[in-house]
Amino acid sequence: MTTVAAPPEKLKPGPRGGFGTTVGMTIAALVWISPLVLLVITGVRPLADFVSHGPLSWPGTFTLGNFADAWNIGNFATTYRNSTVLLLLKVPLGVFVSAMLAYALAKLRIRFGAAIMYTVFLGLTIPIYITIVPVFVMARSAGLTDSLIGLVGPYLAFGIPFEVLVLQSFIRQIPDEIIEAAKIDGAGPWRVFLTIVLPLSLPALVTVFILDAVATWNEFLFALILLNSDASKTIPVGLLNFQGQFSNNSTGLAAGILIAVVPILIAYTFLQRWIVGGLTAGASKG
Amino acid sequence: MKRRTRHGGLVAWGFAAPALLVYLGFLVYPALNSLWFSFTDWDGLSASYNIVGVDNYTSMVDDPVVAQAALNNLIWAVVTVVVPVVLGLALAVVLNGKVRGKPVLRLIFYTPAVLPLVSVASIWGWLYNPQYGAINAGLRAIGLDSLAQPWLGQDSTALGATMVAAIWLRVGFPMLLYLAALQGINQELYEAATVDGAGRWQQFWHITMPGLRPAHYVVIALSVIDSFKVFDLIYAMTYGGPGTATQVMGTWMYFNVFQYNQAGYGTAIAVVITVVAIAVSIPYVRSQTKEASA
Repeated sequence: MTTVAAPPEKLKPGPRGGFGTTVGMTIAALVWISPLVLLVITGVRPLADFVSHGPLSWPGTFTLGNFADAWNIGNFATTYRNSTVLLLLKVPLGVFVSAMLAYALAKLRIRFGAAIMYTVFLGLTIPIYITIVPVFVMARSAGLTDSLIGLVGPYLAFGIPFEVLVLQSFIRQIPDEIIEAAKIDGAGPWRVFLTIVLPLSLPALVTVFILDAVATWNEFLFALILLNSDASKTIPVGLLNFQGQFSNNSTGLAAGILIAVVPILIAYTFLQRWIVGGLTAGASKG
Repeated sequence: MKRRTRHGGLVAWGFAAPALLVYLGFLVYPALNSLWFSFTDWDGLSASYNIVGVDNYTSMVDDPVVAQAALNNLIWAVVTVVVPVVLGLALAVVLNGKVRGKPVLRLIFYTPAVLPLVSVASIWGWLYNPQYGAINAGLRAIGLDSLAQPWLGQDSTALGATMVAAIWLRVGFPMLLYLAALQGINQELYEAATVDGAGRWQQFWHITMPGLRPAHYVVIALSVIDSFKVFDLIYAMTYGGPGTATQVMGTWMYFNVFQYNQAGYGTAIAVVITVVAIAVSIPYVRSQTKEASA
């Protein structure tokens, strides 16, 4: 298969019908999504209503008070800002340097290309925890603990293998003739990269950007060991603290979890074709 | 006319350098540095430490928690690879057939995978809550009060309960990959088989499964690689407990480094599991490299 990082082909419509299968799959999907549905139902009811009627009942009254409480106590204004800043610092930079490396591997006949690819792809298999002690030591000696900047280096490094894997396979398929033609017109390697390779790789770049943004937004372990003050925490670490404080307040906890995940769910719904396409491209080139 | 150079030379290195330097500086170097620390008795705080050779590795043999964590890692790898792959394949085959609303169904089954693992842990911790959780409430509602129990609070069920959450979030990935691969199987094969009188089950085993062979390889390789990285879910759901019932190598490493000030010992644990992960994954990495350089 030569699927590349384009939006996935539309699912074949196939013959209509299959009533029994459709019912079965709908039930399965409802079961699958039920934890999130329960979360919403619980988040919008008062705690007293939840306690007296139980978690599986329909709310007697509705309130948005849980969200206000959770937002303030969970420090979400700060963690949202931090996660956003980190994403904006890290993701464009990561995609750009990965695209540069991918271009060198795919089109510039770099010496030891195969060895470089092997080394970089090996990074896909390395668990983050093998690196946390030295990363912590490095950040401490650079004075970058408890700072978002300290996370950028490790986040970049762990994002590069997947990004290079997807991008180099895409860039490889750009016809050499286009690049040669530009060279004859006097374009140097930078101009070729910026005006031909990057624009032609746009679908792959968008996909990689989105997947990297999701991974960055969700990363937990580096953030856990490097950030300690409330003012510098990201959403996953902030949510963990919040979970501890609200363990006996189910409605508040549900509201807090929703505050943390709803934006991702909305983004996913709109961007899913890119996510699906990217995952398929990164993996299935068998 | 100048002869075409075989290699891209300095220009190519210029393009490769930024990503390579970051990769070497923040991934390769720390990993190797951990290997070094694993041969020391460093506590993680002091300015100095002694080289103790393979002592950390030999003391792992006598550490019952390491044995428990290694076993848990193994169980985790088998269960959270096999179950999602089988379920994902089943979903993909059904979604590839006569079903309405495919895009919505696909969207739903992959949804858990985009959530932060910490939030998945929070959601399931909340569902498992002995008193207010939906799972025990559901059991009580259908008269199975005796089955209501503290799922995350007792040794017998804690690991299984965390794996259910992992399965929930990991079914979507194999489903997506299989779905893409299924669209690549020639439909005429099925039509010919139907003409020849082959049943659905026979078609599945003789056309679908062979057609999915490359996909099987990738799905299983990536799932196994992912299973070795388990940390977030366990840490946020059970903190390795109750007792040490749900410790895995990643969390036990973390506790040794950051709670017990045994950075040398902790990194040794990380080295062991990483070496296993790399050894298992090398065929996959090699195949990806070969394909790209071909």
